[in-house]
Parts: sequence; C-alpha cells; structure tokens
Amino acid sequence: MKIYQPYGLGDCLDLLSELPQAETVILAGGTDLMPRYEQGKVLPEHLINIKHLADLQGITETENGAEIGGLTTIETLRRSGLIHRDYPALWQSTEQFAGVQIRNRATLAGNIANASPAGDTLSPLYLYHAKLKLMSRHATRTIRLEDFIAGPGETTQERGELIHSIILPRVTGSSCFYKLGLREAMAISVVNYALRYSQSAGELTDLEITAGAVAPTIVFLDALTTAVLSGETNSTVWRALIGQDIAPIDDIRASADYRRKVLGRLITHHLQNLGVVCHE
Amino acid sequence: MLHAEKTEWFELEVTVNGQKIKQAIPMHLRLLDFLRETLRLTGAKEVCGEGECGACTILLNGKAVNSCLIFAAESHGGTILTIEGLQTASGLNDVQQSFIDDHAVQCGYCIPGMILSVEEFLKHSPHPDREKIRHALAGNICRCTGYQKVVDAVENTAKKR
Repeated sequence: MKIYQPYGLGDCLDLLSELPQAETVILAGGTDLMPRYEQGKVLPEHLINIKHLADLQGITETENGAEIGGLTTIETLRRSGLIHRDYPALWQSTEQFAGVQIRNRATLAGNIANASPAGDTLSPLYLYHAKLKLMSRHATRTIRLEDFIAGPGETTQERGELIHSIILPRVTGSSCFYKLGLREAMAISVVNYALRYSQSAGELTDLEITAGAVAPTIVFLDALTTAVLSGETNSTVWRALIGQDIAPIDDIRASADYRRKVLGRLITHHLQNLGVVCHE
Repeated sequence: MLHAEKTEWFELEVTVNGQKIKQAIPMHLRLLDFLRETLRLTGAKEVCGEGECGACTILLNGKAVNSCLIFAAESHGGTILTIEGLQTASGLNDVQQSFIDDHAVQCGYCIPGMILSVEEFLKHSPHPDREKIRHALAGNICRCTGYQKVVDAVENTAKKR
C-alpha cells in the first residue's frame, strides 16, 4: 500500500483521476476506514490522505446560508457559533457524536461518504436540504445530498470526484435532533430524527421530519407531516403514517419492531410537546 | 501488521515529546505501533483497537486522538505529546498529581489516555461542571473506577489551576 499526501487540490484531483479507481481509497478522518482496514475489509493499493487540503477546511457564512468545507471535523462544527445558532439540529448531532478523540478526526464529508443509515449528521443535513459540491479534475457539480446517498455505504460519487463542501441554505423556524442509543455516550443510533417547524399565532405553519437508522437511507416522514399540517391530531393515526415512510431492519442494536415502536412514541411525544422539547 | 508484503516505506519526520524524530517506517504502520514498538513509548495502550475505548489517546497537534485510528505517516510534520512527555522538570503535572491525590487510579490501564483527554479539555474549558467533565471523558472507558473519582480529580485540577 502506498499513501499519497497531496497539499494542493489540483494535485489531489490529478491523483484521483489517474490512479486506478478500484484500488484507490480516499482517507479523510480515517475513523471508519481504519477499523475496516485492520479487519482486512478494505485493502487499497493507493490511499490518498486528503487531510492537508486547505481548500476543504472551515465554515463560511454565505448570503444564502453556510458552506462547510468537506474536511471540517465534527469537533469544529460542535465549537462553531454559527452552526449552534443557525443549524441547531446539526449542532446537537455533533454534541452526541462519539467522543472527542473521534470528533477531532472525523469529518463531515466522511460521515456523508460512508452513507451509513445511522450516520448522525445525516438526518439534520437532509432536514436542512443540504447540497454537495463535488469536484473532479474536469468538472464541478452541485447535487442534493439525497441524490448523492443511494443506500447503505452506496453513493452516486463518480470516478475522480471529491466532496469539496456541503452547502446549507438559510433555515426558518425551530429545529432539533434526537438520538436514541443503547447508552448515553459513544453509542451508535438505534433510531434518530431531526425535526423543523414554524408557528404563527400558535398554529403550525410548516413541519418537516427526517429519520435515521430506520430505512436504507435517511427518510422524510412526509405522510405524517402532511397529515399533522392538515390538522390530524390522533396519535394512533400518526404512528401508522410514520410506518408508511420507514423500513427498519433487525440488527445487533435493535429489532425492526422495536425501532418502529420507539420512533412512533418519541415523535408523538415530541409533536405533543413541541415548544418544550424543541425550544427556540 | 497486516499486508506487510505490499508495503512501501515512508520517511517520517515528527516531533514526539519535544524531540525531533526522523525515521523510515512502513506506510501501513499505525501511529500507536510507531509509538509503542518503534519508539518504545508504551504509555499509550491498545485495548479495543477500533476507537471505542480511548486507551491509546495521545495529543496530535494539541488535539486528543485515538492513535490506533491513524497511520503514523499521517502525523508527518506534526507534534505529538504522549503521557511520557507530560511531566515537567519538577515532577508530575497537575492532572497526574490530582489523579493520585483523588484515588482516581485503580488498574491504571486507561489512565494515560484519560489524562491526555483531560489535558486538552481543560485548555478549552478551564472551569467545567461535573456534567461537562463526564461528556468530555465519554471517549475514555474505565472498567475499574466507576468514574466518580476520575471526575473528582478533574474538578480538583481545574479548581487549583
């Protein structure tokens, strides 16, 4: 195995386009890649360590929202006043993300590229309608996050492409993130969800909910939110509607049945106590 | 030590505990193995080997990281602090001394990692409450102490600083 450590974006994109794709892996934070490498599940001939690319670092406030460099670490997001103020659901997901040793290395683009259904930043990023700026030697394109993630560990990333940055539009209303793990710290989500709403004169005017670890990708609970916005208040109906948009599985952390039940109960409780649980 | 037959070599330059080191290493060598096997700095421990337990925590460029999840080559040009480099000319540093004074150490295996996490944490949060301390140590697992005395030690270090 050979490790390449480019300092310039151009050099990195050249490497990505020239090295044989099947034997080349991008190394960002490495927190997911290293265990898989040690177990022999990923054995690249060529490893491109992109950590030195200054162009992919940092959080910028833009006219329409924010742009986050792909290499921005989870800990940097957690310490960002901008993220805390404007994207509280994303901020809350970083607060509950592993321990500091992982957060100091793990990157936002890495969490996206891994495309785990339980990736903690993904429910908030879907909720905020994040887009990705993807760069290759020949082209730059911007796509919606939900068009990038295709399934567990699968993306529509093309040969030679690198996630340059994550673009977040300006958000209205209140939002928050909830994660249920098997313990409070260092836990992978059994279920998680992110929720955003607006109210006017005590009436709900806007509501969106995304849920993680209950389907092959993050899902929008559109059946539920449409009904709630139309005045449906029966929580039994709510739970049935949540069921329409999710497809949980049994795994080492929980059964499909438990996931369905617990997500229904948590979201019902949340919607009945919006102002308290998801405060301004 | 997997896949050694495919390995290429890398000329690593890194500062460890204040000392500049230049050493040819295999590209696949983990930072933890470089510290323990090559440099014989055995303070950082391997327990889980997958970033769950924090026993291999060191400071890389001032930040607490799991040295089991990093290739040594990634530390090229960087600065590393291990538990061996923490004590000053006058003896143990204050976090180390507090862990002893507050009986926060039992078997001791997790302690080098704990102390380095605390080192970084107190730089960002000089006056933390107990809940913040617990949150900061979420990545360091201890199976002896029950954490109570560890939290006492961190709280007392902060008070004395």
